[in-house]
Amino acid sequence: MNSPTISKDALGLYVHVPFCSHACDFCAFYQEAPRRGDIDRYLDGVARELDLVGLVEPVETIFWGGGTPGLLPAKDLKRLGETLLAHLPGPPREWSVEMAPSAVKPDKIEALRELGVTRISMGVQSFNDDLLDKLGRQHNRKQIYRAWAAFRESGFENINLDLMFALPGQSEADWLADLHTAMDLGPEHISTYCLTFEEDTALWVKLSQGKVKRDEEQEADFYEMTWDALAAGGYAQYEVSNFARPGRACIHNLNTWRMHRWLGVGPSAASQFRGERYSNVANLDQWLAGIEKGIPVRADVTVLDDELLATDALIFGLRMNVGVDLGELVQRFAAVDFSPLRAWVNSMAEEGLVEYTDDSLRLTTRGRLLADEVGAELMDVLCS
Amino acid sequence: MKTSHIRNFCIIAHVDHGKTTLSDRLLESTQTVQRREMKDQMLDSMDLERERGITIKSHPVSMLYKHEGEDYLLNLIDTPGHVDFSYEVSRSLAACEGALLLIDAAQGVEAQTVANAHLAVEQGLEIIPVINKIDLPGAHPELIEQQIEDILAIPREEAIRASGKSGIGIDDILDAVVNRLPSPRWSDNPDTRVLVFDNVYDTYKGVICYVRVFSGCVKPGDEVVMMSTGQKAIVKEVGRFSPKMLPEKELGAGRTGYIVTSIKDLADIKIGDTITHAATPAGEMLPGYKEVRPMVFSGVYPIDTSDYNKLKASMAKLQINDAALVYQSESSVALGFGFRCGFLGLLHMEIIQERLRREYDLDIISTYPSVIYRVTKTDGEVLDVDNPQFLPDPSEIDTIEEPMIRATIHTPTESIGDMLALISEKRGICDHTETVDDTRVMLMCDLPLNEILIDFNDRLKSITRGYGSMDYELAGYKVSDLVKLDILVNAEPVDAFSSIVHRDKAEFKGRALCERLKDILPRQMFKIAIQAAVYGRIIARESLSAMRKDVTAKCYGGDISRKRKLLDKQKEGKKRMKQIGKVAIPQDAFVKILKTST
Repeated sequence: MNSPTISKDALGLYVHVPFCSHACDFCAFYQEAPRRGDIDRYLDGVARELDLVGLVEPVETIFWGGGTPGLLPAKDLKRLGETLLAHLPGPPREWSVEMAPSAVKPDKIEALRELGVTRISMGVQSFNDDLLDKLGRQHNRKQIYRAWAAFRESGFENINLDLMFALPGQSEADWLADLHTAMDLGPEHISTYCLTFEEDTALWVKLSQGKVKRDEEQEADFYEMTWDALAAGGYAQYEVSNFARPGRACIHNLNTWRMHRWLGVGPSAASQFRGERYSNVANLDQWLAGIEKGIPVRADVTVLDDELLATDALIFGLRMNVGVDLGELVQRFAAVDFSPLRAWVNSMAEEGLVEYTDDSLRLTTRGRLLADEVGAELMDVLCS
Repeated sequence: MKTSHIRNFCIIAHVDHGKTTLSDRLLESTQTVQRREMKDQMLDSMDLERERGITIKSHPVSMLYKHEGEDYLLNLIDTPGHVDFSYEVSRSLAACEGALLLIDAAQGVEAQTVANAHLAVEQGLEIIPVINKIDLPGAHPELIEQQIEDILAIPREEAIRASGKSGIGIDDILDAVVNRLPSPRWSDNPDTRVLVFDNVYDTYKGVICYVRVFSGCVKPGDEVVMMSTGQKAIVKEVGRFSPKMLPEKELGAGRTGYIVTSIKDLADIKIGDTITHAATPAGEMLPGYKEVRPMVFSGVYPIDTSDYNKLKASMAKLQINDAALVYQSESSVALGFGFRCGFLGLLHMEIIQERLRREYDLDIISTYPSVIYRVTKTDGEVLDVDNPQFLPDPSEIDTIEEPMIRATIHTPTESIGDMLALISEKRGICDHTETVDDTRVMLMCDLPLNEILIDFNDRLKSITRGYGSMDYELAGYKVSDLVKLDILVNAEPVDAFSSIVHRDKAEFKGRALCERLKDILPRQMFKIAIQAAVYGRIIARESLSAMRKDVTAKCYGGDISRKRKLLDKQKEGKKRMKQIGKVAIPQDAFVKILKTST
């Protein structure tokens, strides 16, 4: 089985590092320009936020995302890592750090090794220099190879490559070439993201001005092509966008999709922790001000209940290839009325969108391509 | 004032020939309204009228005019130009002794000019032709004078050249009104007879009747009776329009003005009715009264079904001001609860719909317009069917008759071939042509009313590059081979898309509707069939392939809430759709298909 086992009370720690030297056209994540003073204030803030939380729960995984965590100089990476370790009851089982190929340097790699980081996620996006340029990325193909070699040489044996497809101007041949180039490097994990048009991005503006176009048919073709090519190359799909060698699925993400618990630290980071779901305010100054006062500024605070968790466990669980064990779900959320699900499952199975065997509900390949529509229907069925 | 010094007249014209502008100029010239108070289209008070530049309600106004040292009272009754309001035109004519027949100096005599001139002659009115807009480039007054002589049989010397815009000829018109129009008729009848030629509802006063007093006299306190219904009422106020309402002690023979009575409900005072004194009632009504009947029907539904009560209240308020509007509640599987409304014609329908949107702030959908079909069942029962839903089973139908019109169409000679093709496409028969002049022809034809409901006038305008025009009157019923065309989405009939069509056209129309729906409907999670059927037989079919991809890649580093919000939005979007069987149809699909299904 591809999926490592995770206990139900596992806790993931997500750290949002909000600094980017440049805003990519497609990115809607919170980011700031990396000014020295801000980096220092940010690092102080992370320490104080963790003080406020007072973690006693064991942390299973750590994930540094951004922004561009790899943009931090080596000494700051070290300081951030040490701050975390000082606040945790013990070392994590998996520790991932997102790295942009353009920002990889020997001293940074060394700092990550020393801290005990176990997994690197490289934002490659494409090996095609023209497409990288159009996306507004700061690196080129040569830098990707250089970064890759540096990580491997230093002993990192669990590396993910992030790739993007359905980019403006990208042909199917371009994309297949990218997939094969990635597989030829032999990473343990590959994530493939279909370009998403999100509000508040430069790409969205281009879309609304008609400078770029969406083609859902072509997106569907890209998806199917991706799934076939990676399966043939020995990368098993375990989620809509994620593929891994056996035993190399990202534990941190699996934990999230199974609706367990996670704590987000840093501006804009999201948490599902101690009975609530919330996001930190997406603004460095406001985040710091709240933490200094001892009252974190949070948005979208929702008190967790079984119905919400059960629905989301289904919505996000179905995005995984292994699907959802309904018997286990019923047991875990005993208070929830799952009876409306039966008719829905039957009609979806009739349409060939889901499979239901051995108490386990899974999307078919066609259903997986419609996972959002399925999710919206599930909300309608279960939260009426 | 002596009746010999009173003139009642109206202005009749084809739409857009400048009637309202000319009226404004007359008001200004007689100083009824000071120049600084003038705003364009003084007599059109509804916003919609000003905006569309058309007159919907007739507005009377009294002007004082000094002619050769003597004071004259000139009562002008403005009339709507559009054929939908022809009953209002004929009522306005009945209140007058003369008419200014306005003709655009560039456009010339149009179908409505002829129709209105005939109406006026039938009512015994003296006609003064006025050639308007003579200062515009493209004006051909000589040509128009020739047309007046040829088509209307009025000597060319009688025409006055004028311009409402610049004021040319206004004095000539006023002099002609005094000298050439007769003084009020039938004023020596011993009993009081007052014609109601229009009425409006006022929140404070109740129903205000626009009236012409033919004989006798009306004053506040009089007990009067409506001759068509026998309804009695006490007169509370009388007066003239100047153009604002100006109360007077009494209204005597020959006068035009208004009467406010104790009646509060518009439906209780019929336009065209005669008012007389209750104590000494007249023996005979004034001529020409008839009930107005709606001609065109359409379902009106709120887009948001929770707006039903608001729509209901708004319809009631609209009807208070527009007695020609009729409606009753109906429901549709696809659209929920709404109303089936009857209108005088298409323009009337558009205006009501527009007023609902604008004045009552309602988002509405209207179904495909329909006419009243007369269905004779095999058991002899005769039904009036204005909604395809209520057409009986074909096995129970003996015959279906549809309303016909007699149309007069003016077209430039070079467009005659295309015009005849259009008439024949619309199942019409042209039985008479007449040459108007070197460049124009008049066609007389019979057409089914149903066929001119949607795009006939637009196509006519397009074929004739704007120079053609049409006027029509109802011409009874005729047996026709009509069938009900159903549209099925995923094998479920959608009532809002049903229509009654001629058998020969069913396939063409069914195909067009299916193709259009295929473009409009969003893809579903499964493949669906869109079919057109006549009595269960499929005559056209399209299939809408299943949605292939609806998945977003990123899950936002644990930001479940963000993803959830997007899905929630998607779910709410689905909720606003109408569920027809398994298929979700967005409201705007109904609007789009009904707007374009011509």
